[in-house]
Amino acid sequence: MKEIIEIPHEPNATLDGIQKVMYAKNEQGEFERYNYGSSVEEFATQVAVEEYETLKQECLVRIKQGLSSPIEYFMYENRMDLPTLASAVGMFQWRVKRHLKMSVFQTMSDALLLRYADVFSLDLFYLKDFR
Amino acid sequence: MSQELSFTHSQFAHCESGVTSTLFSAYGFKISEPMAFGITSALTFVYLPFVKVNNLPLIAYRSLPKSIINTISKVLHVTMEKRSYKDEHQANEELKSLTKEGKLVGLQTSVYYLPYFPKDMRFHFNAHNLLVYGMEGEEYLISDPVFEEAVKCSQDGLTKARFAKGVFAPKGFLYYPKTMPQSVDMHSALKKAIVKNAKSMLTPFPFAGVKGMRRLAKKIESLQTETNTRYVKNYLTHIVRMQEEIGTGGGGFRFLYAAFLEEAKTYGLNAEVLTEASELIVKSGNTLREFALYCVEGSRKIEKLDTQKIAAKLVEASEYEEKAFRVLKNL
Repeated sequence: MKEIIEIPHEPNATLDGIQKVMYAKNEQGEFERYNYGSSVEEFATQVAVEEYETLKQECLVRIKQGLSSPIEYFMYENRMDLPTLASAVGMFQWRVKRHLKMSVFQTMSDALLLRYADVFSLDLFYLKDFR
Repeated sequence: MSQELSFTHSQFAHCESGVTSTLFSAYGFKISEPMAFGITSALTFVYLPFVKVNNLPLIAYRSLPKSIINTISKVLHVTMEKRSYKDEHQANEELKSLTKEGKLVGLQTSVYYLPYFPKDMRFHFNAHNLLVYGMEGEEYLISDPVFEEAVKCSQDGLTKARFAKGVFAPKGFLYYPKTMPQSVDMHSALKKAIVKNAKSMLTPFPFAGVKGMRRLAKKIESLQTETNTRYVKNYLTHIVRMQEEIGTGGGGFRFLYAAFLEEAKTYGLNAEVLTEASELIVKSGNTLREFALYCVEGSRKIEKLDTQKIAAKLVEASEYEEKAFRVLKNL
């Protein structure tokens, strides 16, 4: 009942030419490390990357409607979710959530905005004027 | 430091067990990656629907970050130097002086901020382990177990990665062994580690081990009636990413553990039991890989989604694991 471990050799564009390794058996039945490429992994990564792109595009529409703030856009741009962003700026989640609204964003002080600009590695004015 | 480090970069299936293997081998105690993984009872399954990552549940196929590093010092009775920092400057100065002494040190980092990672792989995963083995100008020389060759990283990039915030925030965590194991009783250490791992996989807690796999399978089945297809697609591929990408590939943690059981045979444990369990865990690994393929197929053609078929594969894998760990529990 020797179970064989197949080593996939499919392209994976998300790895920029790197090949990862996995364990499989050699002809003597001993485990060894082998390079592999998996299109299943490629697809899963691409879905995650595209999801952030979609979130960004949807956010741009809401910014134009005056609903969402640039902070929400850059949260997705930096592949963050609310807990990650809140931890990065060192504020409570409920507070960060308010800052994702354009109406609140427009009343925020420069000092407060700067904390976000630093996390996103942006110029303060760029963040303020982003539409 | 008096002893010479015989350091060679190697690529591994999983970052924490890989780093541990290179680190201990360099300091004079040869240990393979599967051995580092197995002797710390690192195989697991956890599905926590109430802990969210990007609005999706936490799913893990191996133990918590840092657990291999913390457990190995207990199992092998060695002292590890472990430091966390509040101050970035101090963290950098200490790292610099350690590399000047010629020490090889492990670091916990966030993948997102490491500039040498491919763009598509950079997500906020805070528990990536790598080794620093020197400096060249202002750049650190790094042995990253995910990469085929050694890499370099600027001090700024590395500092950002060491001080990323969020879940499992690394806080500049740095580690290296201070003492080396003296005459380890591998026979009893391995027996304990395997039985411990078997117990954790057979736990009655419904969100972990084989029960956790079945719980997740039930959840997958329930996605059949979910009308938000974007959510379903994200959910299924999220499972695949947690299984395949965070550290290793292709049901890789299962193959890693199977390799460990094979290696454990050389220490006088019951070879028959280990062979049987190893084969079953390979089967589970292969089944998990099919499961991942079904998840991807389901999200590609969402109109043809058959969640029962996907869930059944996961249940099948859980059955192999239950059998394997029932055998191993009585080793």
